[in-house]
Amino acid sequence: MMPILQQFLSEARELLQSITGKLLELEKAPGDPELISHLFRSVHTLKGNSGLFDFPEISRVLHATEDLLSVVREGRLAFSQELADRLLGAMDFVALLLAEIQAGAGGGAADAQTAVRLAGSLRELIVIAPAMADTPLEPGSSGDWPAAASTLPLDAVPEVLRTAWREAARAAEPLHGIVYSPASDCFFKGEDPFHQARQTPGVVWHRVSAARPWPPLAELDPYQCALRFDLVSTAPRSALDEHFRYVPEQVAIVPLTLLLLDSAPAAGATAHDVPHAQGGEDGPHARGAEDAPHARGAEDAPPDTALLKVDQEKIDRLMSLIGEMVVAKNGLPFLAARAETVYGVRELSREIKAQYAVINRIAGEMQDAIMQVRMMPVSGVFQRFPRLVRDISRKLGKEVLLTLEGGHTEADKNIIEALAEPLVHLVRNSLDHGIETPDVRRAAGKAVEGRLLIRASQDSGRVIIDISDDGKGIDPGVIKRKAYAKGIIDQTMLERISDQDAVNLVFAAGFSTAETVSDLSGRGVGMDVVRNAVQRVNGSVTLTSEAGRGTQLRLSLPLSMTATNVIVIESNQQIFGVPMDMVLETVRIPRSAIRSIKNRQTILLRDRVLPLRSLNELLERHLPQVSNELDEMAALVVEIHGESLGIVVDDFREVVDIILKPMGGILDGVPGYCGSALLGDGSVLMVLNPKELVLWQ
Amino acid sequence: MAMTYKRNAAVFAGTIGIEEAEALLAWLHDHPKPKLDLAACTHLHAAQLQVLMAARLPIAKWPDDAGLRNWLKSALSVP
Repeated sequence: MMPILQQFLSEARELLQSITGKLLELEKAPGDPELISHLFRSVHTLKGNSGLFDFPEISRVLHATEDLLSVVREGRLAFSQELADRLLGAMDFVALLLAEIQAGAGGGAADAQTAVRLAGSLRELIVIAPAMADTPLEPGSSGDWPAAASTLPLDAVPEVLRTAWREAARAAEPLHGIVYSPASDCFFKGEDPFHQARQTPGVVWHRVSAARPWPPLAELDPYQCALRFDLVSTAPRSALDEHFRYVPEQVAIVPLTLLLLDSAPAAGATAHDVPHAQGGEDGPHARGAEDAPHARGAEDAPPDTALLKVDQEKIDRLMSLIGEMVVAKNGLPFLAARAETVYGVRELSREIKAQYAVINRIAGEMQDAIMQVRMMPVSGVFQRFPRLVRDISRKLGKEVLLTLEGGHTEADKNIIEALAEPLVHLVRNSLDHGIETPDVRRAAGKAVEGRLLIRASQDSGRVIIDISDDGKGIDPGVIKRKAYAKGIIDQTMLERISDQDAVNLVFAAGFSTAETVSDLSGRGVGMDVVRNAVQRVNGSVTLTSEAGRGTQLRLSLPLSMTATNVIVIESNQQIFGVPMDMVLETVRIPRSAIRSIKNRQTILLRDRVLPLRSLNELLERHLPQVSNELDEMAALVVEIHGESLGIVVDDFREVVDIILKPMGGILDGVPGYCGSALLGDGSVLMVLNPKELVLWQ
Repeated sequence: MAMTYKRNAAVFAGTIGIEEAEALLAWLHDHPKPKLDLAACTHLHAAQLQVLMAARLPIAKWPDDAGLRNWLKSALSVP
């Protein structure tokens, strides 16, 4: 199986699971807009993915699902039990298809029929919704085509042929009449009905006619398909269904029985003096016609030398190879040290070091070059915003001027992809909660048109995305009270917290509930989701807001996420790595400075009380940490959910760049570890995740 | 390659894509009595087919490709 298909299947399954889960949640909270838009997004992603492959049935059902959900999301149709039932049924069908694809089967004719039926039943619900006239759904996909094709014009068939067919029918050989009426907008979907008709297997008779009388040539719209194809084929039903599987709703296939053939009035055999193609004659020529354009296309195409399309997997392989190279290279300094200390040849040690410097430089450049290949401009993500902003602002009755800057800023493909969803979320928030309606703005003495600026820039190895609006901002007072009411902060915090810190409370988990959406003056819709998505790629979000003046959000993301900078620490005669971006600082603290407050060890660091935990204790080894000869303890200061914590270790070692490999197999999912990496001397470094270690306890 | 227009003749060759349909329509409009030469044509897009069907013009040279010739003859000779 193609790896990309494999990936699609696993992603699709995850998405389906989340879709089903959301549908069930929605049944409990039918009005939750957050859930609905999540649901919509998942369906949308899944549909988009399935479109990459040859799975018309899946795309068909998901397309209908998406249409239906968008109506629900816009509040034009209430979420009902009936709706949930049909959607769940459709998702079950998609799951079934996925299983068939996984098993290498699938694509059966029955599936196509089921897909059409399910899509129809979903669209049926949309029709029930009132006021749907303002957004027509998919013109031509199902609506404007007459429900059932009119019957095959058998009377136009020469008698000779019909006699032959009668015999075939008597012998119970397959014989089907096909009426193929392409949708009028089918050209815009890249279809060529004539080609489709010509390629139909086993055609023994055909007729092309106009679906409606031709207008005068001057009024003809060549891009509106008005053709109708009538075909008779000797191919088995399954082959025909397969052939027309992308357009099942435009095709009517009926088996030609003796009865049907006989009931047609006799036609003059002279009606067509053109000898129609018989299977035998048509076959080889049809094939020739198919081959020719391919050959010609290859000749005509200008040689494309500037661009090369490469499978992402190949790049990834290069990436992991250079990673190993960097690791292998790091072995040279060890070798140099051994040459000097163990074998006592200083000269050789120096030469190895010189050679290392060269290899180091080349490896660095190589890594850089490979990363460049994976770089994509953020404009790919940006391009959806003009439309999004226009649609949302129109819906909310607001006037918004969107400015996009720095679209050429580049970052790793994975980062760009991870950026898309949080950004959409933030922009939506800005429009929904930030920018006021024209009346309110006028009353506040602001320009009627709200401003939304999205700017990307690069800053010392990171991509910075700023989203700022000149809306009403966030009132820290409201946030404080809300956070207190929700138990996110306690009484003392409530009194002491600064306005800036208070505003950032919107990122706290549990802040984003349906209740806060409606009565919170600022943002808060799923901000923890945004933060988590950004943190997954080692990024950060900061928010500043001034009530009445606007809100600025800043996403800071690494340019790439391949090499990880870790500090190596020692504890209990073992070494571990800790990602540098989690470490605020390293400090040496005299043992005497450690105080116990209620069984908890703390120290006073720059006038602030810093709680301490020992790494041995976190790893459940009941040993005291070792101090150095000056009786000082080594502590890593890390930030966990905005709070500083000192983790006491035995000793610090060097800081290294490593290629972090996630844990696999049985170790997969062991909490407290980010993954592992190979060190220059060939040993394995386990990389800790302090956040998980502390919270897991 | 695909479509070439001479003084009063349109020559179809190879596979004719949908993008030519509008040009053909315009050209037919300007040349009421054209000579249509499809000898070297192997396939034409349904949009072109429509134009030819709607134009109801005689074909000077039918395609050499037997498959296409069959289809076109039946399509273009339907009254």
